Amino acid sequence: MAPLEPYTYIQCPCSDFSPLGQPADASSPTSAEEEEEEHTFDPRAPRSNFGLYPLEYLLYCEDCHQIRCPRCVAEEIVTYYCPSCLFEVPSSNLKSEGNRCTRSCFQCPICIGPLSVTSLESAPPDPNLLSPDQGGIPHTTYCLTCSYCNWSSTEIGIRFDKPNSIHAQLAKIRNGGETRLTAKERKERRKELSSHRGGGHAAAVAAAAAAAAASEEAEVVDLETQFANLKSFYNRQLADPNASENSLSTLGDLGFSSPSSLSRIMNLYTGGRLNDTRTKSRLGIMREAYTPSEGLLVANLDESDAIAKLHQTTLEDTSSMDQLMAQPPNLGEPQLHGEACFASSLRPIPYLLRTKRSKRCPVCRHIISKPEAKIQNTRFRIRLVAGSYMPSISIKRLSLPGANGSSSSLVAGDFLEPFKPVHFVLTFKNPIFEPLKVTLGTPAKTPGRFPSKVTVLCPTFDIDANTDVWDEALKDNDRESSVRNTDGSGSSSRRQRAGTVGESGQFQVEAGKVWGRGRNWVSIVVEVVPASLQLRNKDDVLKEDEDILEIPMFVRIEWEVEGGGDDDVSGQSAAGRSGAGTGEQKEKRELAYWCVLGLGRIKQ
Amino acid sequence: MASSSTPGGGGAVPQHRSVASIRSPHHHTSGSSNPSTPHRPIHSNFGSPSSLRADEDIIIIELGTRKLQVGFAGDAAPRGCVWFGPEQLRRVGDFRDWSPEYKFDWRKTKDSWGRDHELWDYDVRGNDLGLIGDKIERALRDAYTKYMLIDSRPRRMVCVLPSGLPIPVLSAALDSLFSRFQPPTISLLSSSIALTVGAGVRSSLIIDLGWRETVVTGVYEYREMNCNRSIRGGKLLAERTHNLLAKHLSNAEKKEENGEKIDYQLSFEECNDIATRLVWCKSNQQSTKTAETSSEGLPTLHEQDESEPPTPAADEKTSTVSIPLRSYKKPVTLELPWDALAEPAEDAFFDSQYSAQSFDDHELPLHLLVYRSLLQLPLDARALCMSRIIFTGGCSSVLGLRSRIVDEVMKLVQVIGWDGVVGKGVEQTRANPKIKPKGVRPVASTTASTATRSPSSAGPGVDEELDGVWHDAANALMEVDPIEEQLKRGRDNRPVFQGKMRAIESVGAWSGASLVAQLKASPVSTIDREIWLQHGAAGASKAGEVDQKSSRQSLGAGGLIRGSASGASWTLGVWGAN
Repeated sequence: MAPLEPYTYIQCPCSDFSPLGQPADASSPTSAEEEEEEHTFDPRAPRSNFGLYPLEYLLYCEDCHQIRCPRCVAEEIVTYYCPSCLFEVPSSNLKSEGNRCTRSCFQCPICIGPLSVTSLESAPPDPNLLSPDQGGIPHTTYCLTCSYCNWSSTEIGIRFDKPNSIHAQLAKIRNGGETRLTAKERKERRKELSSHRGGGHAAAVAAAAAAAAASEEAEVVDLETQFANLKSFYNRQLADPNASENSLSTLGDLGFSSPSSLSRIMNLYTGGRLNDTRTKSRLGIMREAYTPSEGLLVANLDESDAIAKLHQTTLEDTSSMDQLMAQPPNLGEPQLHGEACFASSLRPIPYLLRTKRSKRCPVCRHIISKPEAKIQNTRFRIRLVAGSYMPSISIKRLSLPGANGSSSSLVAGDFLEPFKPVHFVLTFKNPIFEPLKVTLGTPAKTPGRFPSKVTVLCPTFDIDANTDVWDEALKDNDRESSVRNTDGSGSSSRRQRAGTVGESGQFQVEAGKVWGRGRNWVSIVVEVVPASLQLRNKDDVLKEDEDILEIPMFVRIEWEVEGGGDDDVSGQSAAGRSGAGTGEQKEKRELAYWCVLGLGRIKQ
Repeated sequence: MASSSTPGGGGAVPQHRSVASIRSPHHHTSGSSNPSTPHRPIHSNFGSPSSLRADEDIIIIELGTRKLQVGFAGDAAPRGCVWFGPEQLRRVGDFRDWSPEYKFDWRKTKDSWGRDHELWDYDVRGNDLGLIGDKIERALRDAYTKYMLIDSRPRRMVCVLPSGLPIPVLSAALDSLFSRFQPPTISLLSSSIALTVGAGVRSSLIIDLGWRETVVTGVYEYREMNCNRSIRGGKLLAERTHNLLAKHLSNAEKKEENGEKIDYQLSFEECNDIATRLVWCKSNQQSTKTAETSSEGLPTLHEQDESEPPTPAADEKTSTVSIPLRSYKKPVTLELPWDALAEPAEDAFFDSQYSAQSFDDHELPLHLLVYRSLLQLPLDARALCMSRIIFTGGCSSVLGLRSRIVDEVMKLVQVIGWDGVVGKGVEQTRANPKIKPKGVRPVASTTASTATRSPSSAGPGVDEELDGVWHDAANALMEVDPIEEQLKRGRDNRPVFQGKMRAIESVGAWSGASLVAQLKASPVSTIDREIWLQHGAAGASKAGEVDQKSSRQSLGAGGLIRGSASGASWTLGVWGAN
């Protein structure tokens, strides 16, 4: 198994763990237990996965002084674009044309690779067509091909006449090459028919419509058409509830003066004593659909053909679950039911459009992230990443040299031996211009089936402010007393001196003291005694990732800012003379959150 | 309610203040007999036309056990569909699925075989309801960003839910939606009603061949009449597929399979994949030929079988299908006879080797389930519903299953008619013409007539004749029912197709809901965000206690326009029925 890179996840404070839905269940043993443990965060609980984020995913609201995770931001859309052709799509198109690219960008239905249009040198069906009057150019058709898996749209019987606007062409072709009318064309045809025959007479129009419906019956009624038919049917029924009796349109009849609404109001008052027939007839009036043109479609239950087809095919000719999930709803076919599983019913997938979004704090409405509107530009105008407001934690396994002289064999990410204490160095780096006071809290034993013992040797410490590197370097020249902190390699020797007690060349970790300290970082040591992964029952299985030693850690940072002052100037000055900000009003801020440290895998 | 109605055209209320006069200048209220309306808060029925604004998009969410479909009201199909799966449960930024050296070891999640692919379990004991909320939130957020491409401004929502959803689960789902997406209102719509609307009918029999269970719902005039369920669903099919594969795999090792607890040898993903790709269902004739078991409740019709030409069975038996399996201990290619691939569906849905009496109520075979549901329906509702059968759910894509169910039910009807009483005594009564009650035709002779009842002559009378119980009513004169007369006046006189088994296609629950929402029909249950956050599910009153006049579920003109939940009383509709 691959060794584990140590990692840190941070839980956004927005995710609460109050048991949802069942307030009456407060006395249940689980919640009582939770209270007992003072809500120790269990990183392995299935719900925790929904609230944990790497630091890079988190944003920070400067005004609310709060972490904002992708769950707790308000989003606004800057642009819509196709990820394949990088063409910007106006937002008005989105409503009408849908959420996919309507140009010629398609994904392979088999392997989701990009499809490209290639011309087909179609063999002329008739040699006479190759005669000179055709100009010597055979009629070329085009198809979509995948360069990765060599799928081609000819496999589903789809060829195109033009190499451009594939999307529009594809909408008119069913799998197998049969053409279909799009919704618009169907509507036009119907209108044409009715105007052709109808001479103003309502009955004639109806007859024409019926004739049109009859002609359409022979055709396959696909989903889109059925939906449109249903829609118009219901609209007709609602708009004209009683075609002959009363032509009261319900929408135009909102006035209180009309007799029917009055009687209905009376009806409400008197509880139905004034039951006049009109109300009755209006309420129970909507009939059901009778014909396919009204949306009623009798199912064809005979699937013996499909079964025979399935019998002929091999597994490769059917489409897998993943392929089916990637398919957009196919409106050009009737309900496919079982036949959807054939690879021949797959269709090229138009690329889903994507968006660029700006993000706001949901509380104060300040923008916390705003990308450039231009699609080709990947920069952000505003981006308040949490990494520049809260300390980052990096984890390194500590190998203490000297004890037996051979412990240097440890590699980062090596397996942890059960019951053998290991030390990890956590380095907290302060990104802000104020000194931080950090308090850490961990449960003594990690939650879960295999509790490991955890001891933070130095749970409280201060980190110096993140001052300018040059500022610090220049200051070093002035005052060599505060030597601890220069960057780079020079500090490493000092760091060791600062954090350990060197006795006979051995390095020891000491409780209550920081391991190392730098310009804007502090490292501390955590001692861990990994548990053994012995399963109690034979039937139990080690779950995925259960062998990873994860410790939940509550981090609380406090810092002070000058009240109302300019952050940059005051930050620098305050850092220069640490704690010298006298007289001015200081504002205390704090940030507290749970995080999860993944340290390594325990050896099984 | 204002109780004092002022008489006269504009006696008490000044003319300029009268609401009614705003719309039409002249009153055609006939004289003083009709009272004028006093100025009062406008009833939601007549709410301001601003609620008709077309540009306000409503989001429709259909929640199922395995997937979530989202889209805008008015669209023909959902914009996006998100399946629940184990990868959805991972942390953000966990990209191990894309890592080439990572291989999902399904054996580590053996005890939850397939459960990671489900959103909820109807058995809420010991379930973390918050997890359901989290899953819904993540799936919906995914759908918002990937498919809907909308910002996070609050929008009104319509949730299409199975009507059997337990209140705790519903409450968890609503909590999550209300707190994370801030919709001003969420309306609840039962999926069977939505399907009925999506098929263009008012009554139907919904056979939802779902994942967890198969639910048969009788819908009459947009109202759910009864609901029967059986655990024979997609999950059982996947398990049976696994058993089939495992059996064939272990044939060489001669390992006996025993006990209730299945020792899983293949991953859920693979079995489910094969179940969707290759599993098919035998037709009625084929299955009776292979499984020649006649039970008391289910005597097979021999004469019909013999009339059928022998299907090319000899050819089919020999052919095999090769299935590569990767999640077994070692990758292996299994050769399965083609016929064997029909076994899972046979076992999961029909179990025809057992007699009808041997099943518990929760595991009825599908044809019995459908038959019982129809039997429970009142006579006229049954006549309507049986000719409006709508198949839906994932397992309706098992090839041949739908026709098999319909055939089996028809066979049942032919044999035992619409009679819930079965047993030896009844058999004897039927067999012995002497004990037979007067006026009942022998059931055996009606075999043909059940199927060929003509739609025009079909009516309650025909059904009664065949029923064998209400024989006297057929001879009685029809009483003139004034209410019936009034109802008839509104209808058009075209004959209603009924009394014959017929399956129809629906555009689907989501699309049906899209129609409903677009037509501005108001659902029974519309929940305000504020009220929900204050009271939760406990604040709901029973469906009957809420003013139904303002919120008729019927698509009639009465329920056309309605604002948000009116006043303080609101209901969860069928979900809060108990």
